[in-house]
Amino acid sequence: MTLAQALFVVALAGVLVAVVGFGFVMVSAAARSGGGSYLSTGLLRRLQRSPEERAEFNRWAFYAHRFTGFAVFAFLCLHIVDISLYTFAPGAFDEVHVLYGWTSMRIFECGLLFAILFHTFNGLRILAIDFADLGSRASRGLLTGAVVLTVLLGLGGSAVIMAPVFA
Amino acid sequence: MSTPTRHRGGEFRPGDRSDVPVRPSGGGRLFYYVTVRVTGLILAVLVLGHFAVTHITTDVAETGSDFIARRWGSALWLLWDWAMLTAAMLHGAAGVWIAIEDYTPDPEKRRRRQRLLVSASTLLFVLGLIVIVAAIF
Repeated sequence: MTLAQALFVVALAGVLVAVVGFGFVMVSAAARSGGGSYLSTGLLRRLQRSPEERAEFNRWAFYAHRFTGFAVFAFLCLHIVDISLYTFAPGAFDEVHVLYGWTSMRIFECGLLFAILFHTFNGLRILAIDFADLGSRASRGLLTGAVVLTVLLGLGGSAVIMAPVFA
Repeated sequence: MSTPTRHRGGEFRPGDRSDVPVRPSGGGRLFYYVTVRVTGLILAVLVLGHFAVTHITTDVAETGSDFIARRWGSALWLLWDWAMLTAAMLHGAAGVWIAIEDYTPDPEKRRRRQRLLVSASTLLFVLGLIVIVAAIF
């Protein structure tokens, strides 16, 4: 592994640590000022309620939106730097670029795809809620649609990204 | 932890809890709102397109410097990448800005973190801009 590649791996690890750290801050802030941790307490009981009483999905969508947004932005910061090597150190750029084809990096890219897809579709949902003035039933339906689209396109895209590994 | 004070109507209002920072109101909020939504809508097209071209229609292993040189030979892709860089940095920095506001109750710390965010984002934006301008010449 060359120096440029090692630096990229270290920086990517830094990005992942920042993302996990942000998730920790989010969860602890939610527990502190949002009334408690929602994932553990009575989750199954709450899920058995009628859809009208399950507005908490909107809250989960908010947390997922913020988390995926931070993750994509954190990677974008690293991505701008590694693309800048193309101009300032072409040799190092090609060395670093080889890493993008590695299996472990491809798995990371699949995760990135899922994050981008959810953030995009949920973002469009927020736009629709604001501009079409949708009620809770319609926005819940759109959230289901956003999640289904994310899973379908994410799995399809991941299959394409991982295909060369199994070929 | 402060106990929330209840208003006559029974609903919570910004400022009811001392540990949750109050967001400033005014013209800045509208500008923020519009910026995030407009750049978000633009990015929905540009980023998904970017990802599709670099991962789906072309395998990521084939997107080295030859691929970039070929792509940046076209003004459309330069324009695409410039718009994506600008919109993404605005959108991302705006998002982290509001997250800092939510998670940093101490106003002094908050200002420091937001200044750091703006400096770092500006630096990265300029770096990306230099790369794109250099590709034109």
